[in-house]
Amino acid sequence: MLGRMEAAARMWHVGMTSSLHIRVLTLIVDAICPPPRRAALCDRAVGLCVQPELLNEAMAGVAGGNDFQWCFSQVKGAIDEDVAEADIISTVEFNYSGELLATGDKGGRVVIFQHEQESKNRPHLRGEYNVYSTFQSHEPEFDYLKSLEIEEKINKIRWLPQQNAAHFLLSTNDKTIKLWKISERDKRAEGYNLKDEDGRLRDPFRISSLRVPVLMPMDLMVEASPRRIFANAHTYHINSISVNSDHETYLSADDLRINLWHLEITDRSFNIVDIKPANMEELTEVITAAECHPNQCNVFVYSSSKGTIRLCDMRAAALCDRHSKFFEEPEDPSSRSFFSEIISSISDVKFSHSGRYMMTRDYLSVKVWDLNMENRPVETYQVHEYLRSKLCSLYENDCIFDKFECCWNGSDSAIMTGSYNNFFRMFDRNTRRDITLEASRESSKPRATLKPRKVSTGGKRKKDEISVDSLDFNKKILHTAWHPKDNVIAVAATNNLYIFQDKIN
Amino acid sequence: MLGRGVKRKWSCLEELEVEMVPAAVTEEKEQRGEVELVVAPSRSERNHLQQRQRVLGLCLEKLQRYQVGMELSLRRSVLLINTLRQIQEDMQSDGAGAGSPDAPLHGVHPDSRLLREDTREDGPVTCPGCAEGDRDDLPLSPPLSPEFSSQEANTSVDQQKPPPASTTSAFSDAVNAMGYLSDLTLDDIFEDIDTSMYETSDLPPVWSTSSLWPVSVSLWTDEDQKVRSPGHGSPGSLNELDHIMEILVKC
Repeated sequence: MLGRMEAAARMWHVGMTSSLHIRVLTLIVDAICPPPRRAALCDRAVGLCVQPELLNEAMAGVAGGNDFQWCFSQVKGAIDEDVAEADIISTVEFNYSGELLATGDKGGRVVIFQHEQESKNRPHLRGEYNVYSTFQSHEPEFDYLKSLEIEEKINKIRWLPQQNAAHFLLSTNDKTIKLWKISERDKRAEGYNLKDEDGRLRDPFRISSLRVPVLMPMDLMVEASPRRIFANAHTYHINSISVNSDHETYLSADDLRINLWHLEITDRSFNIVDIKPANMEELTEVITAAECHPNQCNVFVYSSSKGTIRLCDMRAAALCDRHSKFFEEPEDPSSRSFFSEIISSISDVKFSHSGRYMMTRDYLSVKVWDLNMENRPVETYQVHEYLRSKLCSLYENDCIFDKFECCWNGSDSAIMTGSYNNFFRMFDRNTRRDITLEASRESSKPRATLKPRKVSTGGKRKKDEISVDSLDFNKKILHTAWHPKDNVIAVAATNNLYIFQDKIN
Repeated sequence: MLGRGVKRKWSCLEELEVEMVPAAVTEEKEQRGEVELVVAPSRSERNHLQQRQRVLGLCLEKLQRYQVGMELSLRRSVLLINTLRQIQEDMQSDGAGAGSPDAPLHGVHPDSRLLREDTREDGPVTCPGCAEGDRDDLPLSPPLSPEFSSQEANTSVDQQKPPPASTTSAFSDAVNAMGYLSDLTLDDIFEDIDTSMYETSDLPPVWSTSSLWPVSVSLWTDEDQKVRSPGHGSPGSLNELDHIMEILVKC
């Protein structure tokens, strides 16, 4: 037991040092490409774009109905080959305006990047995301009653809609959800005469007059402070949190239960779904993700390991044991195998911004469902169908249990999700076109256009194609985020955060 | 679709045997439950069995690794257990339908460890930690004597089965918390208590009361297994298991 705690302490220590590491490295990345040099690189990138070959490829771009190219903007994180476990990014999330971008990692840290306005000497760039605040959100814990270790890994981050100058976000590990306030301070009050210079209160009898303090400007300070801690409500591992559209409540889901919380109240929550059987031997299904409807605060959905999605209406009953809608696609018997259930397990569910559709990600595909049609999805996109022939080895190396997430673009016209080999996929819902892009250091020159990648699927491998056998399954993109208004995307590749944007020509 | 099916099998078995496409087609059928009864098992059948063996072996291996504390995810273990259940059903339907599916097994997979593991399939498949009672059984009531002969144990297995299930309900979430969801391995739980039985006993009584230790089967000697399994089988898989045992004995 001691050994374990020691190990935990060591991890924590490593976590702390690597937090510094990230900041330093961000600085290094910025230092490597100071503005004038960046401009030069941009020019070169523009030169590249003129190549007809690339122009053709640009037509495969996906977003908003218009074709355009994606180009590299930034990469954050260490360049080192050696990846510290604690530095692996475990969640990425834009806030409602897209001005802030938060990442959480396995070391329990949250790093927030802020979008900085474009400068005049770099009109091609839409401005960059720079570190705004870094804080340790969760720390490893040990539950002495249950004798179990609680990892500090940040499972999910969700922003709250902004209501004043400060920003709020929820972050969660396996057990505890925290509400963080991120606020700026660039002034301080000076001239109090109630305290002496050491900060001690002076004897009130010796103060003969009151002095009005004045606000003096100071260096901008960003503070992150924990405002609420929602603990002890989950027996199993929390996989999702979702802020409700009433902006007052949120839900948190673990493997077997979903709880509803009020953002102000930490000592109680309402259990709204409980699928735990009385006899755990009968357990065959777990909750894998849950989300609140974007504009109907009584509606939420949750997905299961059996590939189904249940939509519940909180008005119907306090305990939503009975769903209002049940979304399930009948299984294709011809593709049945021992892995059928594992690959049909849903790893993420997301409502479209409009609230009309929802998207689910299973191991091989991403599906768009119309909330008005339960028997099958309206759209199905294959993410990496070529892996169907590899399921046995993916099962062997545990990749088959990877939980890929998915996201919508701002206008719900395109979707994005990750794959292996640092590839990520985008699907245009209007044109039904898809594209595979890669997050790699090789193309990480400012404004360098991302070259579409192709995986050869049987037959002869063409030039520029990569064979299924040479895919690197250790490089996986599980977490991606799409700016709510712009075509800016954030892609987490292990310990690096890539930011891409569309090219303004 | 068939094309995919072919590939799927292929990748799983590539190191084992090269196979012809038509064989895979029948195999597909077979997977759907249309088991063709043939006296000499076809290649496809063999491959199907091979894959099943491999998946089964990996399943058990993963569950074991899970218990050693590598990965602790309820989702993962539920998916693994469901896969085990599926294989179990598959085996039962095979056992009921096909005459002797074990012949190819004999030729292909002499790995007796896998075969041995099969035999536990006839017990109810549950998730590790699902059987909440076990956890309590252990610290609370002393386990069966390690000196238990395998024969005795064999009979006691069935008698022992009901209690854990009934006691299960008596234990609340807290108990639960120690199982499935805990970040703690079973090894850790018992570290301070009593681990001698796992080292000294041929037959871990824990296992016999439920499937909490699915893979500890591998601790058994072959002899135990041979004696044990036939009486322990459910009607469906009995035939097949008998055959497997025969093979083992011959080995």
